[in-house]
Amino acid sequence: MSRMSLKQKIQNGKFLFTSELGPPRSASAAAVRKKTAYFKDIVDGVNITDNQTAIVRLSSTAAAVICREEGLEPIVQMTCRDRNRLALQSDLLGLGALGIPNVLCLTGDHQRFGNHPEAKNVFDLDSVQFIYTAHRLRSGSFLSGDTMKNKPNLCIGGAANPFADSLEMRVIRLGKKIAAGVDFIQTQPVYDLARFQSWMAAVRDAGLHTKTAILVGVMPVKSARAMTYMKSEVPGMRVPQELIRRMKKAADPKEEGIRVAVETIQRIKEVEGVRGIHLMPLLWESITPRIAEEADLLKY
Amino acid sequence: MTREKHITQLKNTSPAGAGRETHVPPLDDLLTKHSRPIKPGERRISTVARLLEDLVKVPLFRCQRCGECILSHTGFICSQRCPKRLRNGPCGGTGEDGTCEVYPERKCIWYRIHRRARRLKRLPLLNRIENIHNWELEHTSAWLNVFNKRIDPPTLFLKKSKKGNAQ
Repeated sequence: MSRMSLKQKIQNGKFLFTSELGPPRSASAAAVRKKTAYFKDIVDGVNITDNQTAIVRLSSTAAAVICREEGLEPIVQMTCRDRNRLALQSDLLGLGALGIPNVLCLTGDHQRFGNHPEAKNVFDLDSVQFIYTAHRLRSGSFLSGDTMKNKPNLCIGGAANPFADSLEMRVIRLGKKIAAGVDFIQTQPVYDLARFQSWMAAVRDAGLHTKTAILVGVMPVKSARAMTYMKSEVPGMRVPQELIRRMKKAADPKEEGIRVAVETIQRIKEVEGVRGIHLMPLLWESITPRIAEEADLLKY
Repeated sequence: MTREKHITQLKNTSPAGAGRETHVPPLDDLLTKHSRPIKPGERRISTVARLLEDLVKVPLFRCQRCGECILSHTGFICSQRCPKRLRNGPCGGTGEDGTCEVYPERKCIWYRIHRRARRLKRLPLLNRIENIHNWELEHTSAWLNVFNKRIDPPTLFLKKSKKGNAQ
């Protein structure tokens, strides 16, 4: 594996493969280290989630440091739910000082979904403004207009959801993120390929695919129940009924889940404008090497 | 380095800087431009002006009194009714048929804004990146803030310039 940074790979136009690691709900560094083994020498970067679904977990920055010690390139997720503009800027400077450039700027799930629904949210900035803030910081100035000498070296990511309504608004928002200075985009997991293709067509029509690297999300599932849950309970997700039927019929749902993920990746790779795959093996990190191999993601 | 010089540099380093889509304000526009402390006198006048403004805006638009009104950009639907108070478009949680993820009994406010803006032919205004909210203006009178040049005046009519810039 080359030692190029994610940013260099984006600039060189390499087909990217990133994955996701959820820090534990405890102070266990060993739990993080254990998961890193599944990603080593396979992925170009691994997202470290930040209190995903508003459930308190080990800090994403701290977990990123552990991941880097294990030889991974971490992509630190950061949400606006928990931080105001002071904290966001200070955390970005922290990443700069640690030499971890990759940050995924998110609005964040509402606290109502998590284990502290009575919490006060922040949402001082939204994700577009957060991306702009990060872009401004790496250019050497704070939101206040003050300037600094040692600028943080940042590679800024953003998220996009091709499936939530309405499609046109999704493309507008993507355009805003690009204008605000984003380097790469990771999408929500794809199950509905038809809808994904129409979103991608709209993105191409707006010429946005040439201005940023779009990494498309894929999430393998273990059972039909998990898929039904995703369809009904996870907001902004589309799962076609046929896919659920296919999973239900399968003799070995786990194997079928892997096959679905691999097929989806192969179809996505053929879509014009796609620059990479972002695998989200939720609570199933151990499957990453196998899917990478079967979907031919290693040779890129 | 002076601030102006710095902003020029910022614009030049923007990856989307050259040839990007229109309707995007220059980067420095994202900050509240005339950020200066509100003196007690102005605050008192603002309270009175706010009363008048509330009479119009609260019943008509369910105004959330952010003091930095962008109603004219959002199809005359108050975007601040969003549970995350997003100013730049919907989060990723809008469900099918445009339901809000936080309160499924409601419609996503940005879903409604998009539909209204399309109907009123004001879609280009949705491409604007809105200011980072100045919380000092919270619960002050937006009308007075326009008068005092603290915030931009509303865009009531879309001008058609050569570039198609609708600002």
